[in-house]
Amino acid sequence: MLKKVDLSVKFCGVTFPNPFMLSSSPVSNSAEMIARAFDAGWGGVAYKTLVTDRIPITHPSPRMHGCNYDGKRLVGLQNVEQTTDRGLKPNLRDIAYLKKHYPKHIVMASIMGFSNREWADLAKAATDAGSDMLELNFSCPHMAVEGSGAKVGQANDLVRKFTETARNVTKLPLVAKLTPNVTDMNEPAMAAKAGGADGISAINTVAGLSEVNLDNFIPQPDVFGKGSISGYSGPAIKPIGLRFIAQLAKNKELGLPLSGIGGIETWVDALEYILLGATTVQVTTGVIHYGYGIVGEMIEGLSDYMAQRKIARVADLVGKAVKNVHETSDFNVRRQGIARYDLDRCVGCGQCYTVCRDAGGSALDWNAKKRRPALTEAKCLSCMVCSFVCPVERLITFKEMPKTWKRRKTVTLG
Amino acid sequence: MAEAERCLLCHDAPCSKGCPASTNPGEFIRKLRLRNVMGAIRTVKENNILGGACGVLCPTARLCEKECSATGIDRTIRIGKLQRFLVEHSWKIGFNPLSGGRFELPPPAAGRVAVIGGGPAGLSCAAELARNGCRVTVFEERAEAGGVLRYGVPGFRLSTEFLKKELEDVKALGVTFKTSRAVGPGGPRGLLKKGFRAVFVGIGLWAPIRPFGGEQGAGVISSVSFLELFRRGKPAPRKLCSGKTVAVIGGGSVAIDCARTALRLGAKDVYLVYRRSFSQMPAEEDERLEALNEGVHFLLLNQPTGYARDKRGGLAGVKLVRTRLSGKDASGRRKPVDIPGSDWVLEAGACIEAVGNKPEEKSISPGKLISADPATGKTSAAGIYAGGDIVRGPGTVVQSVADGKAAAKAILKQLKAAIC
Repeated sequence: MLKKVDLSVKFCGVTFPNPFMLSSSPVSNSAEMIARAFDAGWGGVAYKTLVTDRIPITHPSPRMHGCNYDGKRLVGLQNVEQTTDRGLKPNLRDIAYLKKHYPKHIVMASIMGFSNREWADLAKAATDAGSDMLELNFSCPHMAVEGSGAKVGQANDLVRKFTETARNVTKLPLVAKLTPNVTDMNEPAMAAKAGGADGISAINTVAGLSEVNLDNFIPQPDVFGKGSISGYSGPAIKPIGLRFIAQLAKNKELGLPLSGIGGIETWVDALEYILLGATTVQVTTGVIHYGYGIVGEMIEGLSDYMAQRKIARVADLVGKAVKNVHETSDFNVRRQGIARYDLDRCVGCGQCYTVCRDAGGSALDWNAKKRRPALTEAKCLSCMVCSFVCPVERLITFKEMPKTWKRRKTVTLG
Repeated sequence: MAEAERCLLCHDAPCSKGCPASTNPGEFIRKLRLRNVMGAIRTVKENNILGGACGVLCPTARLCEKECSATGIDRTIRIGKLQRFLVEHSWKIGFNPLSGGRFELPPPAAGRVAVIGGGPAGLSCAAELARNGCRVTVFEERAEAGGVLRYGVPGFRLSTEFLKKELEDVKALGVTFKTSRAVGPGGPRGLLKKGFRAVFVGIGLWAPIRPFGGEQGAGVISSVSFLELFRRGKPAPRKLCSGKTVAVIGGGSVAIDCARTALRLGAKDVYLVYRRSFSQMPAEEDERLEALNEGVHFLLLNQPTGYARDKRGGLAGVKLVRTRLSGKDASGRRKPVDIPGSDWVLEAGACIEAVGNKPEEKSISPGKLISADPATGKTSAAGIYAGGDIVRGPGTVVQSVADGKAAAKAILKQLKAAIC
């Protein structure tokens, strides 16, 4: 029998039933929706970003565009979604309702002020409504209100100032949600810390432009003849999210707990974020694709992983991979290897030959009669592109060569 | 995995409503898709201990796969293949969700239960009882458990190795097997007297129906004997078929199995003799097509009437009369009627009779089906339950699995009521 594992985590001093959260987005728009998400198993929610009612929010229509790759749907999602378009009062009532009916689940209210005063008002109002913690939205890349969202996240002094403003009116843990549309996220993260933030969430969407209509030249989503550069999310951006989380986790001066966001659909994605330093993880595009139910697979998948490895708590996994993230200059390049072929299972498609010739070391010959590749080991660059295009699982693998082995130099013409 | 990618992950998955044993493909494919592989295995095996065998043998084309929404785009998701993959994968990674791979403790011991018959119904009942804390003993008349899976289905469809692993999953639950142990007509009551709190009877149908009464003679064998001897590795089936023209009488799955087995045993030609048309055959479409592709000759619209003998009494052929289809009969199919004067003889050196099975004479229920509530398996005798083919007549493996499980639930209810 497997030992039952404890998925609960402590994030900024707050105990979550599990690390899986909805991120601030259409999936966390109301108490009715979030209650169903909690029932499905989500441990917490970043409640859809609250704004004051001073500037009314009207969403562009349509507001999203799905990006497919070959036959695979929603590899990425482009959106021009704004903050909540509901009034502040109904949202605060919804937060109070959730805390009353789901006291063990965590509600982190996301807020965004359009002035210093608004940050204070919203922080106070969300605190009074019963939120467990606050998320400061410094990162929406396509706000229609000038000087807000990612514009703030790109100005370190504003990040610090607005964090301080919130800090002054509430004792709740403050989590700054940062934008990846910067060169080095550690700068705004340090500014948030200086302003009194207790944790960092990252990443918000990546500024992108996913598709242009070839008939009318309008980028998607087509808002009545106009396109825009806006937030891109989903599995396609996971590597970018992991990169930022790892960079934040490696920053010893920062030392704040992290909430990982970006392309998470499965327990494997979530665990990668956790191993690179995230304590909680947040999901939107995965829910847009599959519904709230995916959290069931995350819980079961992570529980099985931990039970089989006899890992008692999620905390024992947080940051476990951080020490293995190095500068490329640290690599030991004296050790070399090549691609190894298990040709018994080869189906004879020849894709390896094409890529090796056009993009690799031209190390393969092609036996047209047998329809099989033949590797000249001394020419193999170990780029492994052949293994990426090979349709047979693990037919081509990497193997280390002895120290005495030498790679042949690339041919020079002329 | 590529196949799971094609799944539309339907809301209120229709495939999950197409299974007699309540298998939930909507759930296990979704789990597989979202990389919760162990969870997917759990979904299959917790519901159906014989999930592997069903994945191989189920007539999915008229069950779950028939309901698949993807057919509205192109073709159905191959659910049976995915289920089989998951079960084989569980063996590969050594993960049994019912024993080592479960999170919760089995409930405390609820009492001893006897299961008579180690076929799909009995195994399913035993597994469901065992995982709920019962101490279960399976009494199997033959040398090994498996029932029709071992002695009725040829190895090229369900390998011995595959079956062995699936039976090990049952044993891992703590089920005790007593093989080569026949239980006679008084058996179930006797077992109740010996301290078993309940008895489940799933003895199946093992007596062949003879198409021409008692007549058989040299060169003729029943499908039951043929497949069982073949499965046990005996030389008789090969001797019967090798180099000969073989006639198989019948149009069901078993007839197809016999025909394909005969080809593999080196028969020169195999004729499948069936009195109705191709589309009326009870055998599944994929089985029929595979048999056709392998080279079985389908001799349709021919009614066998007896055997032709040579001077020494050996089989010379099968006497046939051609038929034509007339109006609908009780089964809703057009009825074959003989064409007068069209008698002829198909020359054949061997004939396999595969027109169906009935209850055995020397058994708990001599020569007849057992009457039991299909929802609970309850018979008229207190503490005695029954399910599978011995209750319903010839059916699918998955239906027997469903019966076994339903009876187990009723037995658990009975035991619980007795404790309270």
